[in-house]
Amino acid sequence: MTKIIDLSVKEKTYKSKKAQISILNDFRLEVAAGEKIAIVGESGAGKSSLLNIMGLLDRNYSGEYTLFGLPTEQLNTSQLAQWRNQRIGFVLQESALINSLTIEENIKLPFLYANSEKKSFKVVEDFDTVISAIEIRPILKKKPLECSGGEKARAVFARGIIMKPQIILADEPTASLDVENRERIITLLFNMNKEFNTTIITVTHDLEIANRHDRVIHLERGK
Amino acid sequence: MKIFKFIVSKIFLRKAILGIGIILLLLMANYITFTAARSILSTFQGYQETKYVNQEGVYIANLDPDSHIDMGMIEENGTQTVYDYLNSSFKYAFYTDGFIVSVPNGDDMEISLGYMNEQYYRLNGFELSQGTDLYFDYQLDREIPVLIGKGLSKTYPVGATIEMEESVLGRPLTLKVQGVLKQNAYHSNYYALNSKTYYNFSILFPVNEEFIDRASMDIQFNGLMDIILLDTSEEEIASLSEVIKDNLGLSFNFFSQKENYDYFSEYYLHSLKIIFITTFLLLIVITCLSVWNALVSVRLMLKDFTINLLVGLSYSKLKRIFYGYFGMLSFVNVALISIFTAFNRYGCWLRKDAAFAAYGLFGLIGMDWLALLLVVVSDIAIGIIVVESMLWKIKKVPISLGVLQ
Repeated sequence: MTKIIDLSVKEKTYKSKKAQISILNDFRLEVAAGEKIAIVGESGAGKSSLLNIMGLLDRNYSGEYTLFGLPTEQLNTSQLAQWRNQRIGFVLQESALINSLTIEENIKLPFLYANSEKKSFKVVEDFDTVISAIEIRPILKKKPLECSGGEKARAVFARGIIMKPQIILADEPTASLDVENRERIITLLFNMNKEFNTTIITVTHDLEIANRHDRVIHLERGK
Repeated sequence: MKIFKFIVSKIFLRKAILGIGIILLLLMANYITFTAARSILSTFQGYQETKYVNQEGVYIANLDPDSHIDMGMIEENGTQTVYDYLNSSFKYAFYTDGFIVSVPNGDDMEISLGYMNEQYYRLNGFELSQGTDLYFDYQLDREIPVLIGKGLSKTYPVGATIEMEESVLGRPLTLKVQGVLKQNAYHSNYYALNSKTYYNFSILFPVNEEFIDRASMDIQFNGLMDIILLDTSEEEIASLSEVIKDNLGLSFNFFSQKENYDYFSEYYLHSLKIIFITTFLLLIVITCLSVWNALVSVRLMLKDFTINLLVGLSYSKLKRIFYGYFGMLSFVNVALISIFTAFNRYGCWLRKDAAFAAYGLFGLIGMDWLALLLVVVSDIAIGIIVVESMLWKIKKVPISLGVLQ
């Protein structure tokens, strides 16, 4: 299997007002294409920091990160933004929507930053496919504040997969959902993996969900 | 452009604090800068124009504020005696204006008449756009050479004659257009240098001794109020004061070059300094408020920015959007001020106000354009401070998934 993530963090620190706090220490992770990985750990263990680094949002750490065979240090900020747009999808909690936009505008947001060739194809083809699969057509014209938690979670999910990313980084995607909606989101996530060989990396507190992944990584004190 | 339009319309303008707050603050900063800049420029123009009185041996007459005028007590013989004395003993520059008459013209404006003698004409150095220099050795019963403003030149080109009933001499006169003044030629008030009257719809009469002899007492008296004495001394001034006192019963002050200089530097330069410092302090306060407003806005919009950055927006693009947005606001504000100013200037034309009607590109004269340029410069400075503060704030709270939790 092709290795798409090769991450080695010597140290990631966070500077608080009083002291320098170490979040990740000598952490190493290799992920193959199509793998499903769950990251579990206590609050403050460094799970979100790890996702920030893997999602190319944070470069402020010592270590090396090779993504899709390319050292990310070589990428400038525009290229990082392009990769976040086209190759990485973020599936977050249901609150991660812009309230002033409709659900449709929220889902289509990644198209705005895509290059024109890909955009025209995706707007027409993928949008319809995704909203049909996720069953959110009735709420497209609604604003997030007019939707239920489950509907919003599905909208966030739709936005995360609309560009058919090679990696999906899911940060507690089911944290505040009821059992039915939680199951729906996890099924959609795993369907992406099955259908498009998408690599799934999920941060969760839910061990039942974590155990349904190929691998579970326990993060403790940044290791 | 599509991204810019999206972020501005769907995010920035949806947050009233950024949408309205920054527009109002910037409009306030622009208006203050524009008004102060125009005031300073206008005062500077006035100072440049009246520089000629800041010379050794030059004295400007000024009625003593404590002197009471009773026109009924002043006789024509009295003013004539004063002028006879002036003609025999002094070199003086005579100028008076503000006499309004109706003369047919293309713009249907009322016409302001100004009267000046040769000394004033030479001292002021009027610039002409057409025609030749004014001459003063004419005869009243023949054609009188005059200078006219640019606005009258369409109706009365050089060489044309103007027939009019003139109140100062109280008889019909035939005027011949000798020259046309440059567009927007003006005359500043000696005692309020930022105030000026434009000559675009004026007729300037050459005044010689014969003219003054035959003129009504009004013009003689008005001319005396601001008369400028040249190449003279304190002793000669003292004897003139006595002649005026004896014949008109009035006390006049004559300010010397030194007093004029002190007056200009102490009063006007001081005023300019106050305007400049006040404007500068207000701009600092407004800039601080704008930065505060921007930082609050960033806090309110951090989630929206984070989501956009997650799906492909880059910091460099965000920076360009911020600058573009600020530039757009600045453009709107500058346009508003330009329209407001042009409308004000156009109002002078609608009111047929000959003293203030001026020509300009899109209704704005050179001074307005210069002031607008300064507004743009101040906007650039404020823009850099505000945008860089916003970017600093965004980077200080690093965009991360934590922001969304």
